Amino acid sequence: MKEEGIELIKDGKRLDGRGFDELRPIKIEVGVLKRADGSCYFELGDNKVIAAVYGPREMHPRHAQDAKMAVLKYRYNMAPFSVDERKRPGPDRRSVEISKVSREALEPVIIKEFYPKTEIDVYVEILQSDAGTRTAGINAASIALADAGIPMKDLVSSVAVGKIDGEVVLDLNAVEDNYGEADMPIAMIARRNTITALQMDGRMTKDEFEKGLKLAMNACQQIYELQRTALIERYSEM
Amino acid sequence: MGLEIMDDVRRDYIYNLVRRGKREDGRGFQDYREIKVEKGIIKKAEGSARVKIGNTEVLVGVKLEPGEPFPDSPDKGVIITNAELVPLASPEFEPGPPNEDSVQLARVVDRGIRGSEAIDLSKLCIEEGEKVWIVFIDIHVLDNDGNLVDAAALGAIASLLNLRMPAERYGLSGEGEEMIPLQDKPVAVTMVDIGGEILVDPNYNEEKAAVSGLTVISNTDGTISGMQKYGREGLKEEKVSEMVEIGIEKADELRQRFL
Amino acid sequence: MKRMYKVVIPGDFISEDVNRAGEGTYIEEGKVYAMRYGVVDEKDEIKVVPFVGKYQPAKGDVVIGRITEISFPYWIVDIASPYEARLHMSEVTSGGKKRVEFGSMHTYLDIDDLIVAKVTNTDAMMRIDLGLMEDFQLGGDGRLITIPYTKVPRIIGRKGSMIRMLKEKCNCFIFVAKNGRIWIRGKEEDMSLASEVILMIANEAHTSGLTDRVADFLDSYRSKMVKIGNKGLKR
Repeated sequence: MKEEGIELIKDGKRLDGRGFDELRPIKIEVGVLKRADGSCYFELGDNKVIAAVYGPREMHPRHAQDAKMAVLKYRYNMAPFSVDERKRPGPDRRSVEISKVSREALEPVIIKEFYPKTEIDVYVEILQSDAGTRTAGINAASIALADAGIPMKDLVSSVAVGKIDGEVVLDLNAVEDNYGEADMPIAMIARRNTITALQMDGRMTKDEFEKGLKLAMNACQQIYELQRTALIERYSEM
Repeated sequence: MGLEIMDDVRRDYIYNLVRRGKREDGRGFQDYREIKVEKGIIKKAEGSARVKIGNTEVLVGVKLEPGEPFPDSPDKGVIITNAELVPLASPEFEPGPPNEDSVQLARVVDRGIRGSEAIDLSKLCIEEGEKVWIVFIDIHVLDNDGNLVDAAALGAIASLLNLRMPAERYGLSGEGEEMIPLQDKPVAVTMVDIGGEILVDPNYNEEKAAVSGLTVISNTDGTISGMQKYGREGLKEEKVSEMVEIGIEKADELRQRFL
Repeated sequence: MKRMYKVVIPGDFISEDVNRAGEGTYIEEGKVYAMRYGVVDEKDEIKVVPFVGKYQPAKGDVVIGRITEISFPYWIVDIASPYEARLHMSEVTSGGKKRVEFGSMHTYLDIDDLIVAKVTNTDAMMRIDLGLMEDFQLGGDGRLITIPYTKVPRIIGRKGSMIRMLKEKCNCFIFVAKNGRIWIRGKEEDMSLASEVILMIANEAHTSGLTDRVADFLDSYRSKMVKIGNKGLKR
């Protein structure tokens, strides 16, 4: 994952021209799938992901039901053609971990007591990957859950920060992720300053971590505004 | 059903204790349970350690095998970390392929080792582009009384401390067995949030009572080489920062005492 | 001119009047927030009417169900909810005057039959009991369409104004059940018109001036049809 040898920052700018605290361009479309109860297509730079929500629906097997609340399930999956070297179809260990972390990122906002004994299924497919897919997935899933009419307290927004050439920067692309020194995906409930997912990979000092956290929090605010706008506008144009 | 009701009772019990400033076993909020580390107990493995934290028991074995390097790092060895939550360790563990908890455990421990570059992978090259040492770190959980991560991570580094390359067994460069020195000793510290209080080294009941937690893996120089948040609730930023600070401090303590 | 009701997303602040907080909202620290993605209705209580959602059965609701299973002595009924409902066999024998024999339940109601039923009971275990309404059987030439249950009030309209207009102008029997299932009966072309209008209302439920727009649509459709004359309706 960490390869050596290329200069990631030139003249104070990143290879793609971004500043240290700049997000890649984001595009959001709500309600793109017919069969799903809720859905969202989300682009973050060259990442293309689609999230769909089914539910609440009856949970099977019965013995796995929770008598008091709905059970949230999340499946992160990469399409074989989404990456440079074809990825064999099916879950691998990375997908399993990302699915778990993403599910836990969303659980705090879902009001599960409303639908006991049911399951709410979130499916996230990565159609094209350029680092940051799990964050794009969580952003899309948040929107899809709202779109499906799931009772929620708030939206969850997500972004990754990292360290490249000794600098803490926002939203790494694939090259920066491969050659950089650290990668930290974060998910938050933007309005409440509450972190619902946090992972770190690589090496950072405590100060760099704090700096990265602040960067991420600001970015999540921005992303939240975009998520909200997309949802509001969906019903504004008629 | 019966089990669930008991869980609620236990959860409330733990929560109420914490509100009164106490823990089930009388520890301080930032205290670890009694820790025992035994190195080199599995002779067949190239490195091994048995770690007990309270009643939690984890056995880590490291095996080395020659294998092919990854195409993009032809002169570097490979680390593969796996964890088995074997059924005998807990009534909740079932036989079968690794589930998400086992995958997460392995990947978090792996992250800490990789991020700290504890093993200099370039020292594991046998023949560039052709053959390198594959380091299999296998975590075998024997008894789950909470906080498997810290025990597993401690066990992994303890196993690697005396890692020997089994050159003879594979008929390679007959210098006998060579030791691989560690460049760093990352230590994982896991904390949970119960009722707003930060508790270090949660036991099984505390893990169930908590709604979120954080593992911080840090190195000898105080830098962080891995983090993972768990749980169904969020953590406020200030809590996270506090946990990171405690995590780095406690890691140092553990490192001095056991590694 | 189409005016919008206020669209909200989960977490949006609505009001500080916590005493009026109703469905679709939650209260935190003395403030009322939206719990669903929908429109705000502040007429009496402060409610958020979601755009879509799964029907949650409540005692007294009249629903259209579909028999999915026969499990003596119950029929299992799908009511477009995350939960199944059940209908006891005594419901078909008007107070148990006659006994339904084991193995003969399907002679009364069979799998895939549509019924009009009332939710007689729900409990914390999410068991839902149904009772049959008079004229409970739906079948023959008619059409069943399904819309999100949240749009049902719009189809009915204030004091039934919308549904009355639909029935009249489409010349159809239209029965709107609480769970979003709608049964239409009439001539083929009339049923198609009714279906189309109902879906239109469902899609534009969050806008105002809808009743007038629907009336215009129906009138202009009719006049178009008159122009086409005897050639038959082409849509």
